[in-house]
Amino acid sequence: MTVTSYVLPTSVAEAVGLLGAHGPDLLVLAGGTIAMPLVNEGVTRPSRVMGLRRAGMGGIEPGDGGLRIGATTTLTALASQDALPLLATAARRTASWAVRNMATVGGNLFSAPRGGDVATALLALDAVVEAAGPGGTRRIPLEAFFTGPMTTALAPDELVTAIVVPPTTGASTFLKLGRRLDNTPSVVTVAALLTTEAGSVTDARVAISGAGPHPRRMAAAEAALAGRALDEASIGAAAQAATDAADPLADAVASDWYRRRMVGVVVRRALEELAQDVHGRAA
Amino acid sequence: MASSVVAFELGEHEVEVLVAPLTTLQAVLRTQLGQTSVKDGCRQGGCGSCTVLVDGEPVLSCLLPVEDVEGRRVTTLEALTPAEGLHPIQRAFLEANGFQCGYCTPGMEMLAAAFLDHHPDPSRDEIVDALAGNICRCTGYEPIVDAIAAAAEAGR
Repeated sequence: MTVTSYVLPTSVAEAVGLLGAHGPDLLVLAGGTIAMPLVNEGVTRPSRVMGLRRAGMGGIEPGDGGLRIGATTTLTALASQDALPLLATAARRTASWAVRNMATVGGNLFSAPRGGDVATALLALDAVVEAAGPGGTRRIPLEAFFTGPMTTALAPDELVTAIVVPPTTGASTFLKLGRRLDNTPSVVTVAALLTTEAGSVTDARVAISGAGPHPRRMAAAEAALAGRALDEASIGAAAQAATDAADPLADAVASDWYRRRMVGVVVRRALEELAQDVHGRAA
Repeated sequence: MASSVVAFELGEHEVEVLVAPLTTLQAVLRTQLGQTSVKDGCRQGGCGSCTVLVDGEPVLSCLLPVEDVEGRRVTTLEALTPAEGLHPIQRAFLEANGFQCGYCTPGMEMLAAAFLDHHPDPSRDEIVDALAGNICRCTGYEPIVDAIAAAAEAGR
């Protein structure tokens, strides 16, 4: 099949209208870094394609006390968000400079990669996905957004229009284990955000990719930390809980066997880093 | 199939091309506009050999529909090369032997040019970090990093 039309809508309403009119036959691309390799390789042979670069969906602005990140905001723009170091680091550790100049935050969620370093950071930040469809706009907590390997809670006629990140406090860290240091897919990625009061953890958020079919929060690891001091015992318990709860997939990057073992290791290292941060500030 | 006309700036020239829907910038630059520095490498955004600049920022032209650069400024290595002599980045690569087979060189040099615009005084680690998406199978990278460091030095 040859591409018969490539349309570049100039508003969200126009984009949603086109998606509604053509349904799943319309290939949606924003940065093109996920869709275009499939097209170039002939894996996807779309007839109609919609590009979102002119749909006015980019940009980062204050919203709901936090930040509203437009869906076509590039990872390069995200990487310079000093106010959100967790998200900025996740963006910086994704792919290469030229890819980050093209890849978008919405595309990363919309296409539901099984890994997803940015999604992992957004999960720890309690982010909410804003989606637009023919019936209007709705908000989906990111935790409920991923429903399986490469599947999301989006209806076929809905587009991700923005990500809303509520204000956060506490110490955060982002730790990615890849096969190489840089420009590498993730074996296991952990994003953790902890709030402590008088030496004990009051809010623990541990998000992981590589421990299941999609990035997820690790409730068992969070429960192992809540109300306890951030020390060797609680960190060990959280790492063990994460390992027990992991149900990783095997792919060309890593086996499920290796991922399961690395889940505990990366959780432990991330929390040890946070412990140093927390205790360092207390001292 | 409805072809369309796309106009953009290539270096200092306005160009217009007639393209089928979703034709990549890489294909247009190389096959319609004679910019043979723009390699047709992996077509997956994984090798960096098709790197060009759009409004001064490096992108992978194999992943970019040419319709998306309507009205924008595209820079290839041909556009960067002066009428006489070489661009300082090219001279630095030549003097440091920053290439062997040469296939990755245009992408490397485009990335390096944009990088030095952003970071005129980079550390070696920053250079290595910036080059993470450009693959070279010959040199082992060290002479490429040397070349970029030398170009930065010469530019100060």
